[in-house]
Amino acid sequence: MDINVLKDKIYAFSEAAKGKKKLKEKDIIKGISEAESADPAEVKKALREMIDVGKLMYSYGGGASSVEIPSEEYLREKGLIK
Amino acid sequence: MAGKKYNTPLIDELEKGPWPSFVTEMKKAAKNNEMANDAVGHLEKCYSTRVGYWKHGGIVGVLGYGGGVIGRYSEIGNEFPGVAHFHTVRINQPSGFFYTSKALREICDIWDKYGSGLTNVHGSTGDLVLLGTKTDALEPIFAEYSSRGWDLGGSGSALRTPSCCVGPARCEWSNYDTLDLTYALTQEFQDELHRPTFSYKFKIKSSGCACDCVAALARADLSIIGTWKGDIKIDQSEVKNYAKTMDINAEIINMCPTGCMSYDGKELKINNAECNRCMHCITRMTKALKPSGERGATLCMGSKAPIVVGSLLSWVIVPFVKLEPPYTELKALIRKIWDWWDENGKPRERIGEVIEIKGMRSFLEAIGVPPQPQQIKEPRKDPFMFYTDDDIAAYKAKEAEEKKTKKYKF
Repeated sequence: MDINVLKDKIYAFSEAAKGKKKLKEKDIIKGISEAESADPAEVKKALREMIDVGKLMYSYGGGASSVEIPSEEYLREKGLIK
Repeated sequence: MAGKKYNTPLIDELEKGPWPSFVTEMKKAAKNNEMANDAVGHLEKCYSTRVGYWKHGGIVGVLGYGGGVIGRYSEIGNEFPGVAHFHTVRINQPSGFFYTSKALREICDIWDKYGSGLTNVHGSTGDLVLLGTKTDALEPIFAEYSSRGWDLGGSGSALRTPSCCVGPARCEWSNYDTLDLTYALTQEFQDELHRPTFSYKFKIKSSGCACDCVAALARADLSIIGTWKGDIKIDQSEVKNYAKTMDINAEIINMCPTGCMSYDGKELKINNAECNRCMHCITRMTKALKPSGERGATLCMGSKAPIVVGSLLSWVIVPFVKLEPPYTELKALIRKIWDWWDENGKPRERIGEVIEIKGMRSFLEAIGVPPQPQQIKEPRKDPFMFYTDDDIAAYKAKEAEEKKTKKYKF
């Protein structure tokens, strides 16, 4: 599967979970690879690329880390938007 | 430079007595740094009202990394603006905590520029812990440290910064190169260190011998404890010298946990087959006793402090493994361990808890390590050996044959 299509799927998956469930990185990899019959390694690569450019971000709360869609405040702080 | 002068009668009490005081150090930093100054005032307020005021966690970090920065905010940031944001930065320490003074100056100069100037060297994680900076300073801090060869340590649901004792660099008892192993594991597992993928934290700590100077056995999910296979070599002339200044029976023989030693006033004897390599006798009679033979390590799993369930001590998984570069076998085993934990662990469950819940048998089968007598958790307890119907049938057949022939098989 094309990596950009995968990225769109990952973003939609994360958006659907927003406010409902804290997603671990592996939840996303497992969820997308099962739903799209994609290679987990490719999903992982796409996910990492999204995190590296601030499309997704790591968060932390209650002792555990998760992946989520960044807030505008975060993007502004990282200089990704003005 | 610091603005407001805080009246601190309660925390001043912590400067009294003969011991070094963190309050004294904070006050020194407060003279030149507004954040440290407000941290002093904030601490006094916490003591006087008996409230912490700290909030922990959130979305602070550097781009692409999921760990290394621990977000802290004060609920009373309006009153103490210098600590409204007071994030902790973890810097990955060198193996064995060896630094040049130039390196330490470099670390502190950068920290003085961007943070409170307060440090915790080292934190219980092993990292160099830099206490108190603002969110907008995080990227510049990371850029400055990484341009000088430093990297952030681990935090959150990730591999935490591997740490080790000083090993063969300064200690003759080290049974493997703890420094090299820690460096190799840190390099190998960069992804797991910086990008949290686990159910919860995972700590690897390496000690060169059972003295366990990094307390791996009590706090690491994977404790790598150096050991040896040969006998303890005895220099009887040195034993005689020790007898002049110590009561060998009281201090050595009677304190041997397996009772494998004897001393008749003339000669020290050790039944090496019964020795569990605890190091007690060797550390007390350094000139008289020395390990010999093949060196390596015991791998233990699962220790932790109490969070979800009570505290756990590590449990022997692999009684003896040779540890030599490139450590391929160990790295592969660690990956298998993580796979099993990932399949079976719920969020915030440490691997030791998952082993308790799912059973040692399931864990050993998954990672491909055979059950061995040394894996017993505690004396007279055998928590993971189970007999199948075939095992029982075979045993009954053997028993019947023995009864019939009067010849016993062992």
